[in-house]
Amino acid sequence: MDTPMVDAGRQGQVLVYFHTESPDIELPEGKRQLLVPTDVRRYGLSQILNSESMLDTTSPIPFDFLINGTFLRTTLDEYLTANGLSSETTVNLQYVRSLIPPLYEASFEHDDWVSSVDILSSTSVAGTWGKNSVAQGQERILSGSFDGLFRVWNKSGQAIVTSASASAGGHTSSIKAAKFISPTQIASSDMDRVVRVWNYREAEDQLSAKVKPTLELYGHKRSVDCIAVHGPSNRILSASADCSIGLWSTEASSAPAAPPSLLPSAKRRKVTTSVTIPQRGALSMMSMHTAPATAVIFNPLDPTVAYSASQDHTVRTIDLVTSTLVDTRTTSHPLFCLSALPGISSQLLAAGTSARHITLLDPRVSATSNQVMTLRGHTNLVCSIAPDPNSNYGLVSASYDGTCRVWDLRSSRQGTREEGGGSVGEAVYVIDRESQKDASKKPVGGEGVKVFGVAWDKEVGIVSGGEDKMLQINTGRGITKA
Amino acid sequence: MAFGTESRKRKAITRDVPETSDVESDAEFGDGILEGILSQSEDDSADDSVEDESDEEGDDEDDLEALDSDEIPSEDEADGVVEKRGSLQEDDHKPNYTVTTDANGGERYVYDEINPVYDSDDSDAAAATNTIGNIPLTFYDSYPHIGYDINGKKIMRPAKGEALDALLDSIEVPKGWTGLTDPATGKPLNLSQEELEILRRIQTNEMPEEGYDPYPATVEYFTGIEEKMPLSSAPEPKRRFLPSKHEAKRVMKIVRAIREGRILPYRPPEEREQEEDEDVHYDLWQDEQPRADHVMNIPAPKMAPPGYDMSYNPPPEYLPTKAEKQAWDSTDPEEREKEYLPTGFDALRKVPAYDTFIKERFERSLDLYLAPRVRKNRLNIDPASLLPKLPRPEELKPFPTVCSILFRGHEGRIRSAAIDPSGLWLATGGDDGTVRLWDTSNGRQIWSVKIGDEEAVNVVRWRPGRDAVILSAAAGEDIFLITPPVVDPETETASVALLDTGFGYATNATPALTAHGQRKEPVAKWTRPGSRLQDEGVLIRITVRTTVKVISWHRRGDFFSTVSPTAQKSAVAIHTLSKHLTQIPFRRLPGIAQTVQFHPSRPLFFVATQRTIRSYDLQKQELVKIIQPGARWISSFDIHPGGDNLIVGSYDRRLLWHDLDLSTRPYKTMRFHSKAIRAVKYHKGGFPLFADASDDGSLQIFHGKVVSDMMENATIVPVKVLKGHKVKSALGVMDIDWHPREPWCLSAGADGTGRLWM
Repeated sequence: MDTPMVDAGRQGQVLVYFHTESPDIELPEGKRQLLVPTDVRRYGLSQILNSESMLDTTSPIPFDFLINGTFLRTTLDEYLTANGLSSETTVNLQYVRSLIPPLYEASFEHDDWVSSVDILSSTSVAGTWGKNSVAQGQERILSGSFDGLFRVWNKSGQAIVTSASASAGGHTSSIKAAKFISPTQIASSDMDRVVRVWNYREAEDQLSAKVKPTLELYGHKRSVDCIAVHGPSNRILSASADCSIGLWSTEASSAPAAPPSLLPSAKRRKVTTSVTIPQRGALSMMSMHTAPATAVIFNPLDPTVAYSASQDHTVRTIDLVTSTLVDTRTTSHPLFCLSALPGISSQLLAAGTSARHITLLDPRVSATSNQVMTLRGHTNLVCSIAPDPNSNYGLVSASYDGTCRVWDLRSSRQGTREEGGGSVGEAVYVIDRESQKDASKKPVGGEGVKVFGVAWDKEVGIVSGGEDKMLQINTGRGITKA
Repeated sequence: MAFGTESRKRKAITRDVPETSDVESDAEFGDGILEGILSQSEDDSADDSVEDESDEEGDDEDDLEALDSDEIPSEDEADGVVEKRGSLQEDDHKPNYTVTTDANGGERYVYDEINPVYDSDDSDAAAATNTIGNIPLTFYDSYPHIGYDINGKKIMRPAKGEALDALLDSIEVPKGWTGLTDPATGKPLNLSQEELEILRRIQTNEMPEEGYDPYPATVEYFTGIEEKMPLSSAPEPKRRFLPSKHEAKRVMKIVRAIREGRILPYRPPEEREQEEDEDVHYDLWQDEQPRADHVMNIPAPKMAPPGYDMSYNPPPEYLPTKAEKQAWDSTDPEEREKEYLPTGFDALRKVPAYDTFIKERFERSLDLYLAPRVRKNRLNIDPASLLPKLPRPEELKPFPTVCSILFRGHEGRIRSAAIDPSGLWLATGGDDGTVRLWDTSNGRQIWSVKIGDEEAVNVVRWRPGRDAVILSAAAGEDIFLITPPVVDPETETASVALLDTGFGYATNATPALTAHGQRKEPVAKWTRPGSRLQDEGVLIRITVRTTVKVISWHRRGDFFSTVSPTAQKSAVAIHTLSKHLTQIPFRRLPGIAQTVQFHPSRPLFFVATQRTIRSYDLQKQELVKIIQPGARWISSFDIHPGGDNLIVGSYDRRLLWHDLDLSTRPYKTMRFHSKAIRAVKYHKGGFPLFADASDDGSLQIFHGKVVSDMMENATIVPVKVLKGHKVKSALGVMDIDWHPREPWCLSAGADGTGRLWM
């Protein structure tokens, strides 16, 4: 007798209060409260929001819905039951633009391990620094490889250009980092302690291009593992295993002379180069870490401030004008990568650690707590992080466990005691290596699957490269009906 | 119970006879009489359980005693006993009950209704008895009654007949008429038929008893025939007629003894009674005094008073359910909580015999004479509390937990691995004769050189110190000093300079001379390895006489020591880098040298032979200490960076921790591996960690905290077992090393992989 009655009640409606933190999709004041059927899922709620009476969008925007910091993955009814809530409560639904699941798009094959990737597009940082903006469809992907060469690809998988070999003034050792400075300039660093600046010019048909080394920068004593560029001020930052951070100029005229003791002796240079390239030294060499520096970035809002991460567990804030150390943030693990998340109101840095997680740090001097949040889920060292270009709260990380993971910082939970408490985030999507799709077992120690570099662009998607000698592109396509 | 014993008693009696007869038959009785009884007893005992036998025996003994008490049982008595028993047997031959099934399904004995024979037994029910006593009846002549019955009612005088009746009576005298009046009843006293018969017999001089046989057939126990020819015809000797002096003497002796009170002619009667009373029961704890608790004194157990569940008809809540009953049945009798199962009977008479009576008695007896009364000490100790209080491994983080980076490339085993002092590179040497350099942070091989043509690279070790990057490797008899071409020109120049300074010194030095004045053969040759290797960065080759297995550097980086276990005299060599000089410190070693170490802070040098580790003072040139780990064959050892502790790994699977200040014996012995331990290593970068590598393919990570406080011992906690290396031809992990700064452990496996554990 009772059951149908209860069912009828369950199938009923619940009062929902919609709110968002994105002002452009905010609902007018009067429409925020709504009675919705409890059996709808994310898709249904998204449809309701996109409908004429609500947001009245021209093309539907996929939304995700957060209740109490967790994404709604079930029906509202199931959520209410699981949390022991009655259907008479008002549910606070925060709606955000949906993270589109990254689907495999393409793989570009390399001769050797891919160490780093970068993207040039109209919306990428380097693209905005050029004189002419990058045309739609003319996005370029830059990949540095362990064979000492970097390659520039177009989106259809054609290698537009490959950098010069060692004999032609190229890198004598594995490239560890490569980045677009502007649509016409590329910087790369290698294990042979050199940072090189290249001129990149595409042919008219945009299917071939020329890269010419313009500058060799000496000053580091060990492998240069990471570089950061700032086009407008022509500055390059480098982090090296010799524990120092280098600040360089991309212009030969403004750079000091190279330290002669660090120039390769003629005897050791196995191949004599036919071209002579200007060799320059560092504007400033800051030996501030006590262990190999692994990452360095410019402050995205202020190019006179830089952050560096190191295996000595610290993230240091550097004032580039005076080349002095401003602040040191000590974490509990060696750090291997660093990325800024400029979108969130405060400055936030994400650092990948050897302890298989990502630590979010607030580098401001006033900040009292060290770690804001921890993102857990990787099963091996995290070696590269890129922010989400579409959202202020997303990021993607690459790890030696052969996966890239997409995170949304809005979804968090309280960490268990074992995790050391605090706020803990979990991955929204996991991108596996396409080359390992058929592998039945996960290789031990990330053998053959390590992902060394990842980049995320609005136009291109998530680009990652690693030990499988592949550059893999994943993009969000379509919307899954949850 | 009561019922049971009763029936048992009756049964016991029934079977008394044959048993007795068995005993007696040998003596005097012929077998004939008892034959049937015997067989019957057998029939009877067939139904009875064996348990009853102990009871029977007890009864038998009583009977025997009774018989024995009469010195010589007379024939009559014996016969009488037998006959009486025989008749009893006869009575019992037919049971006076029938066996039916009662409501509960048990046996039920239904007895015949007892027929009370009032005329014979019950005198109360007879006609009123005059209770006036012994007074003449004439006292009542003037009364209508003649006395009173037992109830005090008048017994009326019987009616007297008329004269005619009396006449008729006199004419027709009834049988047994006496003409007398019974004084007790006042009725005419008539004689019964039997009485008349007895009178008749007496009158005819016959025996008054009926059927009495005055001449029964003689049973001839003794012969009545006088022998015509006796055995001796000698006249009776005189002594037969004289009182015996000897007997008189003996009698007098007894008489004297009695007089003196030495012999009590009769036992005092009260004593005998006591003896009879005190059966066979002894109260062991009768005079128990409360005594202090002691092992040898166990107080009498206090029995709990019986509870409801012991009742024959306990309340239903005490009765076990079906499941409980089943559980009780299925458990071992020794493990049962209660020895009995509460059972309900609606009447006491339905309670069956105590079925485990005999068993219990038997076990009690066993307990008394077999079981020593020892207190059973139950160990009510939580086993966990016995374990030493060790911190949980989670609290001792960080330590390596998973394999993060795998280094693959060697063909065949990797025999040795070392991380350089800056932590950037990893050097490995293996069976393929190559030395390889890897990037520690991503697992990429960055440099490789083949130094052993046929030989495996046995050991690679970095020179300590950051001023130069020098790698030492040994393949066969050659030790190579290498500056890998991965460093910047500045450091490379410094390293090359460091290696080359000794050449000048070596050529200028005067060669040592032997006693005969001849040039002594140098123990090692320092040469250039040839242009091919020189181009690769291999700058110096030191050739010694036998295969080098171990290289150990002094912390300053100027000395290093090598061990060639197969060498006789020059097993241990100390090389000076700045002088290109090789010295042999020990002319003779007690045993085969295994490995050597320099003390991290003091000028001490440790040499491990198979069983001992000796420490020598290099300045005073004397033996300081002999450490005896107790292992059969030491494989490796390492000195704690603090310098006061030592870990030793042995091929007999033991890992031993020595505190050098305490004793020459190990402070702790750990035996966690199933195969030989190949390598042990302390973390030298500030983490209280050490690890061992074993042939079973696993590494074990320990937390070993040493405190400066002399009173406190080192805390050693095993925190992690790292598995992953495959065992190839009985070899697992060959070598381990720690990252100089981080709690990362590196292992070199026989499966050709190096693994970095983070």
